[in-house]
Amino acid sequence: MKKISLLILLVIIVGNSGCERDDICAETTPTTPRIIIRLYDISNQESTKNAFNLRVQGVDNPDVLENYNIATTDSLVLPLRTDASITEYKLHKDYVYDDNGTPDDTSDDIIYGNEDILTIDYATEEIYVSRACGYKDTFKNVIVSQEDDGDNWIQLIQSVNDNLSVDDEKAAHYKIFH
Amino acid sequence: MLLFCVSGNAQNDSVVSAINDSIKIQNKYGLRIGADLSKPIRSFIDDDYKGFEINADYRLTRKIYLATEIGIEEKTTSTDFLNVTTTGSYLKAGVDYNLYKNWLDMENMIYSGFRVGASTFSHTRNSYLVYSQNQYWTPQFSSDEAKDFDGLTAIWAELIFGIKAEVLNNLYFGLNVQFKMLLSETEPDNFENIYIPGFNKTYDSGGFGFGIGYNISYLIPFYKKDKAKETALEEIKESEEIIEE
Repeated sequence: MKKISLLILLVIIVGNSGCERDDICAETTPTTPRIIIRLYDISNQESTKNAFNLRVQGVDNPDVLENYNIATTDSLVLPLRTDASITEYKLHKDYVYDDNGTPDDTSDDIIYGNEDILTIDYATEEIYVSRACGYKDTFKNVIVSQEDDGDNWIQLIQSVNDNLSVDDEKAAHYKIFH
Repeated sequence: MLLFCVSGNAQNDSVVSAINDSIKIQNKYGLRIGADLSKPIRSFIDDDYKGFEINADYRLTRKIYLATEIGIEEKTTSTDFLNVTTTGSYLKAGVDYNLYKNWLDMENMIYSGFRVGASTFSHTRNSYLVYSQNQYWTPQFSSDEAKDFDGLTAIWAELIFGIKAEVLNNLYFGLNVQFKMLLSETEPDNFENIYIPGFNKTYDSGGFGFGIGYNISYLIPFYKKDKAKETALEEIKESEEIIEE
């Protein structure tokens, strides 16, 4: 009888083992990558160069991109839309918001600086990761370009390598010279 | 040569008299056919599961049984990012070894067994949502266009521990646990086998699987064999010890 009750206990334990770590997508698992763009000096193309007071916001996105709300940086890490084959960002350098001493009245507010629109075109590809994470996207034929507004602070955009794909976040994918 | 025996419907208090009497104890040999009740029960209470299994064993010797199971399953695995329906059938075959020394002519089992299992199955990916840690752009791409992953197979080895008890004449109830180890599988393209019929859920950490069974089965007796003299002596002694306790 002892053997039988032990077995029944075993059945209950096996049947109810609910702690399944497999079902949580770990933060360390590489999933959909962001595009990494480094900023370089146009007059000294070997060295990186900071953009000052840079504000980054997606076109059609109501929020400023986290970590880029007036930042000084030589590196852009931009999430790409997985539900579209194009993502546009407003890169606003030397951003200063002057409310003219009247915070309640927005009609006389002035925004200083230089805003360029960066356009990233690509094709998405779904890659299976795991049962918990499901699928991630990688990006193929990634082309980064900008609109010419007559006063661009971005002077040159170059791909780091020839295959134009964004598969992971291990290294920079594009260079911007300014 | 002395033979120790008890009549067919032996009860505990007849054990003592058995020593003096001389009637034959006989073991029944035959084919036992049954079904796993846990699968239809689960099919009834779990919307994401449908399954049925019939099983059979054939007694070779006093302790060794040839055993087989055959079944079909349909299981929908659903997470926040993935919804997949797996359908397929499986066949398992192997041997059960009875570890339990029965009193007299009782025919119960506490057994350990070994199986080789094989399954053919397919997955239908019903929907998925692309996973992105960064949620600056929402929602992520999602698709509910069904995609099939067909023609998949898997082979595994299995250890079984269980009991079978004769509750009515020739009618048995059984309970068992199964520990499985995957030997080979065909990996679907750009997906993985998250569920294998007969093997059950797979785990990221390795090729291990678990299962339980709750069986009802009926024995079709073919013939009877006398229990060996030695065995009978041994078992009656044991019975007496237990009664004394």
